Amino acid sequence: MSEHSRREFLKFGAALPLALQSLDVRAAMAKETEAQPKRVIFICNSLSFYKPNFFPAKRGDLGTSPYLKELAVREKMTVFQNLFHPGMETSNHDSEKSFLTGAPSPEAANFVNSLSLDQLLARKMGGSTRFPFLSFSIYDRGWGCSWNDRGVAIPPMHDERQIFDKLFGEEDLTAKRRQIENDQQVVRSLYRDMAQLKKRGGDRAKLDSYRKVVAELEAQLKHEEFWLKARKPEVLDTLSTDQEFAFSTKIKNLFELSKLAFQTDSTRVITVSLDWTYGAVSVPGATGGWHTFSHHGGRADPLAKLTRIETEIVRRLNQFLSELDEITEGSGSLLDHTTVVIGSNFGDASNHTCHNLPTIVAGGGYRHQGHTVLEKSTPLCNLYLELLHRHNVDAGSFGSSTKEMGLLKG
Amino acid sequence: MNAPNHNLLVGSLTALALLLGDRLGAGGKELTDQATELLEHYCFDCHDAATKKGEFNLEGALAKEHFDGSLMFENLLTGKMPPANKKQPDREEKQALLEWLVRKQEVAVPNSFRRVSRHEFVHSVNDLLGTNLDLADRIPEDRGTKDFDSDRRIQLSREMLSSYFSVADEMLEHAFPTRGGPSEGKWVTSKVKDSHQTYEIYLRPYEEGILFSWTRANNGNSYSFFYDNFDPPVPGWYDLTFDAAKVGEFDEDVSVLVFGGKYYFADDRPQPQRLLEVISLGNRELKSHTIRAFLRPGENVSVHCQVKHNFRQKNVVEGAYIKQLTARGPVFDQWPPTSYQSAFEGLPVNAAKREPIQNSGFQTKLDRIGGNLTVSSFQEGMEKERMQDGSNRTFWHTRFKPTVAKPPHYVIVENPRGAEIEGLSFATWSGGNGNGLVKAFEIYFSDDGESWGARVMEGGLETKRTFEQPIVFPQRTRSRFIKFLVTDAVSLDGKSIASIGKLDVLTALAAQVETARISVDAKTPKDLKRVVRRFAQRAFSSEITEEELRSYLRVGLTRLEEEGDFVEAAKVAFKAIMCSHRFLLAPGEHANPSYARAAELARMLWLSIPDDELLALAKSDQLKGAVLREQIARMIADPRSRRMIRSFSDQWLNLRSFNKVTPSLKLYPLYDDLLNHYLPIETRSYLHHLVQENLSAGHLIDANFSFLNQRLAQHYGIDGVFGQELRRVSFPPASPRGGLLTMGSVLKVTTDGFETSPILRGAWISKNIVGTPLSPPPESVPALEPEHGHAATLKEQIAQHKTNKTCYACHKSIDPYGFALENFDAVGEWRERYKIKQPHRSTFQYRPGGYFKLGGSVDASGEIDERAFKDIFGLKKVLLANERKIAYSFAKKFFEYANGYQPTLQERLHLWNFLGRNPENGRLQDLITEVILNSMSKANK
Repeated sequence: MSEHSRREFLKFGAALPLALQSLDVRAAMAKETEAQPKRVIFICNSLSFYKPNFFPAKRGDLGTSPYLKELAVREKMTVFQNLFHPGMETSNHDSEKSFLTGAPSPEAANFVNSLSLDQLLARKMGGSTRFPFLSFSIYDRGWGCSWNDRGVAIPPMHDERQIFDKLFGEEDLTAKRRQIENDQQVVRSLYRDMAQLKKRGGDRAKLDSYRKVVAELEAQLKHEEFWLKARKPEVLDTLSTDQEFAFSTKIKNLFELSKLAFQTDSTRVITVSLDWTYGAVSVPGATGGWHTFSHHGGRADPLAKLTRIETEIVRRLNQFLSELDEITEGSGSLLDHTTVVIGSNFGDASNHTCHNLPTIVAGGGYRHQGHTVLEKSTPLCNLYLELLHRHNVDAGSFGSSTKEMGLLKG
Repeated sequence: MNAPNHNLLVGSLTALALLLGDRLGAGGKELTDQATELLEHYCFDCHDAATKKGEFNLEGALAKEHFDGSLMFENLLTGKMPPANKKQPDREEKQALLEWLVRKQEVAVPNSFRRVSRHEFVHSVNDLLGTNLDLADRIPEDRGTKDFDSDRRIQLSREMLSSYFSVADEMLEHAFPTRGGPSEGKWVTSKVKDSHQTYEIYLRPYEEGILFSWTRANNGNSYSFFYDNFDPPVPGWYDLTFDAAKVGEFDEDVSVLVFGGKYYFADDRPQPQRLLEVISLGNRELKSHTIRAFLRPGENVSVHCQVKHNFRQKNVVEGAYIKQLTARGPVFDQWPPTSYQSAFEGLPVNAAKREPIQNSGFQTKLDRIGGNLTVSSFQEGMEKERMQDGSNRTFWHTRFKPTVAKPPHYVIVENPRGAEIEGLSFATWSGGNGNGLVKAFEIYFSDDGESWGARVMEGGLETKRTFEQPIVFPQRTRSRFIKFLVTDAVSLDGKSIASIGKLDVLTALAAQVETARISVDAKTPKDLKRVVRRFAQRAFSSEITEEELRSYLRVGLTRLEEEGDFVEAAKVAFKAIMCSHRFLLAPGEHANPSYARAAELARMLWLSIPDDELLALAKSDQLKGAVLREQIARMIADPRSRRMIRSFSDQWLNLRSFNKVTPSLKLYPLYDDLLNHYLPIETRSYLHHLVQENLSAGHLIDANFSFLNQRLAQHYGIDGVFGQELRRVSFPPASPRGGLLTMGSVLKVTTDGFETSPILRGAWISKNIVGTPLSPPPESVPALEPEHGHAATLKEQIAQHKTNKTCYACHKSIDPYGFALENFDAVGEWRERYKIKQPHRSTFQYRPGGYFKLGGSVDASGEIDERAFKDIFGLKKVLLANERKIAYSFAKKFFEYANGYQPTLQERLHLWNFLGRNPENGRLQDLITEVILNSMSKANK
């Protein structure tokens, strides 16, 4: 990288392609004066939060919530009480699939999911960054919060080292270009193959489903080809390797990667699935199955341990939000330009019920209300619909939404 | 509801029956009338809208528009309903009801096709190319929450296709390396890399090599020692030969676990490692043990010794003596590799000779860029070379005798060839009392070694950390001289001294591996067409027409025209074939039904493509009748069927989650990597045996043998089994073991690694072994997870299920199975009393005795289907009393595995009747065969 381009790059972050001749330089330069981009991140805490520790005891006073009083950015957040997903009043863990889609009856045998909120946002917000969206999870189980328009899971990335390399690792650009060209030739061949089969009358459903996937891959290759022109941003490797509390370290690292990705404008849409296994986790003061503790049934001992785990998650969350707020961007902070949604598919994991889903909206530059208690059970998708509108997605409805309610102010 | 308008309901039922008459086909109306009468006679006494015994209102359910009759069907079929003490339908009546339910089933038509799973993709491509790479991990898990990979509801996604593209590339590159085959290197080493000092008690110089003993660190992790001087230069297969012997006077074998992975210094931040193989040393004589492993650059080989006798005892002369490790590779099965023979059959393959390379042992990076060091002063015996010998136990020290050298103390790195240097790698001397350890430094550059520029950087160093600390320069340099100036060092006596354990440069070394080119003597489009056609026919399991071939061939021909390289042209065509819908979405299009069957058989039994024998039979459309049966038997006997055993058991028994559970070190301190490795292997070996020997389904529940080795036998309390190779071992009559339920693998995967849950285990048995479908708990019922430390006994806690009618309806068929397994702890060891975890003081220190006290006694009794049992022995009897049901459940699971959907009621009836025809039919290979034949005859329709 020449000195000149390195300087440019530092100024404009990841968004400025290196081979300037192939792009309108002024358009790229204009980015500098463009308003700060909006970002959005959705975090699903798959085993919920113990309600008495989460919701404020005194209406409107976040200081009366044992968890939320620990958050430093209380001025920049709203906690919603009484949101739910219709068709999911009680559920097994499959409700996690519907967290960002609102699709009802996720445990039904013939359940098919629908497009998730982040993906709809990524269509609008994803075009101008190297990664149209990013999707993370703690474990390698192949699905998280993000679902495509056919209701197929988008496998999240879970290995922080691999994510870091994907975002910031050095690439052999010549080899990568050759790779993309090779892939594109193969894609063309696949299209020709489908065309000849269609003429002969192959299985239509199969071909249609395959064609859609190939078309998506083709679009991805085109996007990657464009981004060959820009070098990846260079950032310091700040990932933690602490093994004593691996669960907590993993969450910390996923948040750190999210922060870095937003800061370098590598993406504007992220989902983080805080998923679970039956296996034990270790946090300061508690070791055992998160899932086992979540079925506390009101008993003191498992509840105390569950509280330790949830406190640790809240601590990581607090760190993430505070760090976003410490990064200055334009006239505000990165947090002011990032809508952070923290929620869960369960209202009460001990009972496997989905009433009153714990939901926080932080950042995003809204005039925050602290604690908003809805008088009637309200579809979470009403909030989602509002988020779509807030990000200039023109949608009449989303999932089970009934109407826009003006839940976010300012 | 206490005013049942019975007649009205039956009336509406009759109206529905009229409607249904047409849908149920010929005779549908008569059948419905008969069924309605039978239901009223045998079922509605208990299950009408008023009584709804067991919270089941059959009458109401039937009146609904959509009725899922599968539960009723299963209960009727397996004789659970009507209960034994009620009046029973006769054979014909029962048959009529079943028939009615079969016809009534609204078959939710699954996708007519399914996608290959990631495991099937990798096996298929390996068999196509003649490679043996384990790359399934590169492809995202796509099973979701479904039970089986094959589930037709799972769809292909862009992310999956994208990873198929890149995995196909990697496998093609391995099979046909663009730059040719790398030369074969040979490395001989008996030196291990530095590790934390506290592990030094586990290894000591012994004869000509090293004696390793069991390394279980304070935090309970198992540390493995990394061999130095062998860094795989290219990805490939390497032969690792350990000249090793057991040391110690005891009967048990000593085990050496050989891992591949990135080097780490201490186990507070271990990197993931792959267990390559276990070497079992049973002989005190030095012998060569060779394993073959796939290694990548950046990975090293490490060993962990396990011997039960000397745990954390100092200076015990017991363990594994390893004289040396000899590594050789990359090795090819033959030269030129078989992949060329199989893909380019009939064309001459030319391969240059591979010249073997001898490696000269340990070399620093500084050596390799032709550099050297000079120092400000040195003490005799502590010369500068001691910073360059790869060990931080030896060190350079400034002069202190006869006089103490005056500062400045420095090291100058000479870089005569002007290599690009990124920085220095520093390691402190790890012995001594700390005197002289460098705390701070400055860096200067010079072109002539005399005039030094401005200070490039300064920094501090950790004196307590003895692993390598990188010192990265602000920018890379090609300076001929780099000065490392010591500006501060530990001084216990006020004198100015300095010492360094290791110093090297950080620089990217181009991997200079000689390669031997391989080429195929062919240039013409005609040759390419023949090669691509052959490959496509094998991949698609079909003959293919010119038209079908065209698009794959064209991408190859274009490449051939553009670049002229025949092999590269073939590779891109192969990739297009491997990523096509025809390959990824099954079934593809086949030239005749036999080809389709060949493809299905290979998919089900080998997770792969058909072999030549199947294709030859398919070509003449002979794959039916007796020939089809023979082929199924041949394929099961083939070693490739082990893939099916593994895949099926991983999914059916949920062993894929086995490693997600980490047992508590406090409660189960003796659980270790070796046991963790062998537990699932026991299950696979056992199932493999049952299928190969065509033993009865009852063996799933109980048997007087299993496949054990020394470690598993220890776990199960069986004496006299030495060595880690698995073999058939008979259990003494008093042993509770035998069958799947009492295997450690199953017992572990049904817990969270700490406490056992009769509910989870019960649900596992109910779903996987007995075959009862489970539904989610109803609303607003607190779910229970029992605790053993709790004042109330476990039974009392779960008894809540009994007192609540809603819970009891389902849980009476779940919890009791789990009770019977309560005598087995979370890792599957036998227990009479519960362990209650105790806190530790300050930092956790591993100890073999664990941290627990004994709590209450285990009560493993229960009652299922009105049959009481006292413990696992009793439960096995109860289960075996209905062996047909166990066999039926197995068949249903295999059906779902093989076909990607649950068998329809029609198909279930078929399987049940097959089992009823002859008690001998409940043998596992026969069942598998029947399921496959049944699926094929269906596919034929």
